[in-house]
Amino acid sequence: MSDTPSPNPPSTPWLTMHIEHRFHHGGAGFHLHLAFAAHAQRTVVFGPSGSGKSSLLRAIAGLLKPDVATIELHGTIVCNTMHGSQPRIFLPAEKRRVGLVMQDPAVFPHLTAAGNVAFALRGTERSAQKEKIARLLEVVEAETLAARWPRQLSGGQLQRVAIARTLAANPSILLLDEPFAALDAPSRQRISQNLHQWARQRGIPVLTVTHNLEEAFTAGDEVLTMEDGRITAQGAPEQVLSQERERLLQMLGAVPSS
Amino acid sequence: MDTVALLLTLRLALVTTGILLVLAVPLAYWLAFTGSRAKVFVQAVCALPIVLPPTVLGFYLLVALGPRTAFGRVLTHLLGHPLAFSFAGLVVGSVIYSLPFAVQPLAAGFAAVDRSMLDAAATLGSGRCDRMLRVVLPLSRGSLVTASVLSFAHTIGEFGVVLMIGGNLPGATRTLSIALYDQVQDFQYAQANRTALFLLGICLVALMLLYSQRPARNARSGDLV
Repeated sequence: MSDTPSPNPPSTPWLTMHIEHRFHHGGAGFHLHLAFAAHAQRTVVFGPSGSGKSSLLRAIAGLLKPDVATIELHGTIVCNTMHGSQPRIFLPAEKRRVGLVMQDPAVFPHLTAAGNVAFALRGTERSAQKEKIARLLEVVEAETLAARWPRQLSGGQLQRVAIARTLAANPSILLLDEPFAALDAPSRQRISQNLHQWARQRGIPVLTVTHNLEEAFTAGDEVLTMEDGRITAQGAPEQVLSQERERLLQMLGAVPSS
Repeated sequence: MDTVALLLTLRLALVTTGILLVLAVPLAYWLAFTGSRAKVFVQAVCALPIVLPPTVLGFYLLVALGPRTAFGRVLTHLLGHPLAFSFAGLVVGSVIYSLPFAVQPLAAGFAAVDRSMLDAAATLGSGRCDRMLRVVLPLSRGSLVTASVLSFAHTIGEFGVVLMIGGNLPGATRTLSIALYDQVQDFQYAQANRTALFLLGICLVALMLLYSQRPARNARSGDLV
């Protein structure tokens, strides 16, 4: 596709966004209101459940139409609701080339694991397709699952298939919404490593959303903390997460509370 | 039994079901996923044939397709003969009359497809039509079968619309249900009994086919209760 953005060098932001959105479910409602730019190859958004992390990813991917927003991916405006001289823009999800792995893997139940990966490989030649599927399943250590149906797979295996499928679509950025939640610790680490390596080799920036402090430390060159629909801090992991780390250590009784 | 009427009825039901599926799939897809304000109106219009006396529908179709309206005159001119009192006219009437029996199970089935599947497909680069063909339709196969069987059985059993729009022309527009009516009028009860039993059998088998469907792997959608 010629009109799609290509990865930039890491110094310029690959994502610039400003969004405001009010959710009206329940009585209280929830207000998402944030602005930031992401430069790093690996960025982590860290925050408690319900802080609006998933909605943030949905807005970037084009699955949520915010009330007010400007979202720029690799220098291309994909969403702009502002009035004024600029035209209103809302590029639908299928045209954004944003890879999104959700908590719910949403693996298509009518296709095998390989069929799910092939879903995103439309237009690829059959022989090349087979090879590509095998390679992608290898990244998530699921090469033996190719012929299995989703109903025969465990939660962790489904997540692996969902990741391979997302990579198959050749995304220009990767958004991960706690994608390793159902995996055991050793495979989580290995697959996360494989995935980040895959992305780095192709110059594809990765934005991971997590409420897991360890993952926030290991999966991010830069960390944003989020609370109640707002960004509360942005910077290097040690700097941003130190307070959180101390709080946890205190809870474990490792350091005396001051 | 009136075999000419039987063949005509089966042909009518098959053609109607085929046309209905082509029309109802996109219509039901729109109904299942639109946020448009026109949805309620379109829903109501699609459901009208369920509650409207078939004679009312037949009457309006007869008027619309006849020489009283510009539409009817253009149609007659184009076809070389009036659409009313012909097999094609019966098909038009049957399609409208059975529309809700195709649209409603399909719309219910489509709406029951897990939204996260559609979101996933969209982020994988799959557009609206592609999502319908590669995600929604395969996940609502049960509704497709339901819609087909109901459209077929409902067309076989229609009487009022067919009589109003088709008249009662042997070989052209006399269906089994009309033949049955004629047989009763002529006090041919033995023949009438055979026709009635046959219609009863077709409908019973169709419904048994419907209820014996294995629940689809994922979509439990569009099933009749």
